[in-house]
Amino acid sequence: MPEHHLNLGHTHSGPSARRPLLAALAMSAGLFLSLGCDRDQVSHASVAKEAPAPAPMAPAHGAAPMTMPPGAMPPGAMPPGAMPPGAMPGGQLPPPPRPTGKGALKWALPKGWTETPGSGMRYATLTPPGAGKLEMSVVVLPGPAGGEPANVNRWRGQIGLPPLEDDALAATRKTVPSKAGAVAVYDFTSLGDVKTRMVAGLLATADGNTWFFKLMGNAEPVAKAKPAFMKYLESLHLD
Amino acid sequence: MIRSIAVRCWIALASLQVTIVALVLLMALVVLCTLAQTDLGTLGAVNTYMRSFLVMRQVQGLPFRVPLFPGGALVGLVLVANLSAALVRRFEFNPRKFGLWVVHAGLILLVAGEFVTGAFQVDTRMTIEEGQTVNYLESYHQMELAVSDVTDPAHTEEYGVPDSKLRAGAVVPLPGTPITLKVKRYFVNAVLAPRAAGDPPSPADRGVGAQVKITEAPPATSDKEVNAASVLVEPVAGGQSYGTWLVSTVLGAPQSFVHEGRTYLLSMRARRYYLPYAVTLKKFSHDSYAGTDIPKNFSSLVHLSNPARGEERDVLIYMNQPLRYDGKAFYQASYGKGDTLSVLQVVANPGWLLPYLSCALITLGLLLHFGITLFNAIKRREKEAS
Repeated sequence: MPEHHLNLGHTHSGPSARRPLLAALAMSAGLFLSLGCDRDQVSHASVAKEAPAPAPMAPAHGAAPMTMPPGAMPPGAMPPGAMPPGAMPGGQLPPPPRPTGKGALKWALPKGWTETPGSGMRYATLTPPGAGKLEMSVVVLPGPAGGEPANVNRWRGQIGLPPLEDDALAATRKTVPSKAGAVAVYDFTSLGDVKTRMVAGLLATADGNTWFFKLMGNAEPVAKAKPAFMKYLESLHLD
Repeated sequence: MIRSIAVRCWIALASLQVTIVALVLLMALVVLCTLAQTDLGTLGAVNTYMRSFLVMRQVQGLPFRVPLFPGGALVGLVLVANLSAALVRRFEFNPRKFGLWVVHAGLILLVAGEFVTGAFQVDTRMTIEEGQTVNYLESYHQMELAVSDVTDPAHTEEYGVPDSKLRAGAVVPLPGTPITLKVKRYFVNAVLAPRAAGDPPSPADRGVGAQVKITEAPPATSDKEVNAASVLVEPVAGGQSYGTWLVSTVLGAPQSFVHEGRTYLLSMRARRYYLPYAVTLKKFSHDSYAGTDIPKNFSSLVHLSNPARGEERDVLIYMNQPLRYDGKAFYQASYGKGDTLSVLQVVANPGWLLPYLSCALITLGLLLHFGITLFNAIKRREKEAS
């Protein structure tokens, strides 16, 4: 390509020949700047609640990058091992200090279930026996942690369900008595072809903490584990 | 004197030597950028080496970063200026050189195309579970402070404040609402922990943030890390402050406040771009070679619904066969949740055609130049023979 320079003549162009080029460059620069600024504006969208999308954090959870032949990935695709920002692994906080004394919640582990200490935001992870994809998590957060309606709607969002108004939420709430207090329990099943079911409860303790108990997985194993989960909730107690 | 210097600069700018130096520097940048991906990740390396004017590095013993190498943007700009200057300076209305002008125009278009891509390409993703319908894209790298007015039973009004606006002291009004957000501090990355007894009071006085200790962390550099973007923000409406809230990607529960009967949720999330159409994932397929776990093909059967255009159709997206729609290309990129979730990478690049056009122009120019030279040579020989 450089050869072309060498072969060209050395005739200077007149000012009139340069002006259109300069004008075009200036216009292009102006257009680029004006378009570039649009990216940084506050966006607004009116989104119908009837057609909910997956919650930003939950759906990509566990997303695996594909192993594709070289060149198969589009430019900028996720490299192996990377998780998309929305696929943030749950709990980047260090484990909260385990409440002690009156605030330490205890329970009777259902027969056959296993318990492992929590990592990140989790206080504990409980695994029911049997085949199928399901898991139970225990999370404790200081304060009301956003409040019950917001948390329940966040749970609904995790399985692709639209949020509910307070009245509708109250209608779906069941209360399970325990020695530690009344546990508000919700049971939701996703609308997708592969049903995901979530039975989740929350309990506010006297020291101001809010405890979250969530049994989640494929609908069938969750249905099998639910009776034991409810007994587990009934067994909650404080020292 | 000044005129003489200007003329010499002009001649230097249009010189062949500048072209060669620029091309060599570009080659060196490609090598350096490739090597740097190990430490900086793909985006970090591209931003540091290719989309910067100077490659800046911290040198031990110096309190500031020093430029070590010209960046791709500077070299590209010099190359465009050089080629344009050569084109203008040596412009000669001679039909015999028409092919060369076309080649130069093609080269300029090629470099300009990269500037357009760098400035306007938007890489996003769409994450869908089987049976779900999604009508928005999410940014890979940009975050937003989302304010969602959930009062209306039929609609949620979603406002997204991009992270570029979340600077300390910034005052961001939400258009069409009485809400103004006062940004106290923004953390590109942060470590959040429950406050211990001896910790100082949290800067947040509302929501869960009041019980959380926040510490700034260096931004994630590798592709495997994710920033915990967090912001301290004070919503103000009608002259009333609703307190200071800590909103972070690692605080799962959205936090809310109510103003004049309207409920606003605050959350930090990947920047969203809502679409005037929706995509439903009907089936994700992960095929392996028979008897092995070696992936053979990944594909997503999606239903595209665009009521504004009256479009309802199924599309199969698979490797190297993206859905091209509305100026965007939807590539199959990832999957999850036991093969029931698909992640599509969505690329919108208004300049995607420029590299093709420039290559076509260069090819056409070379063919023209060759044809014209051949034609002249034949003509000359015929003349000599006669």
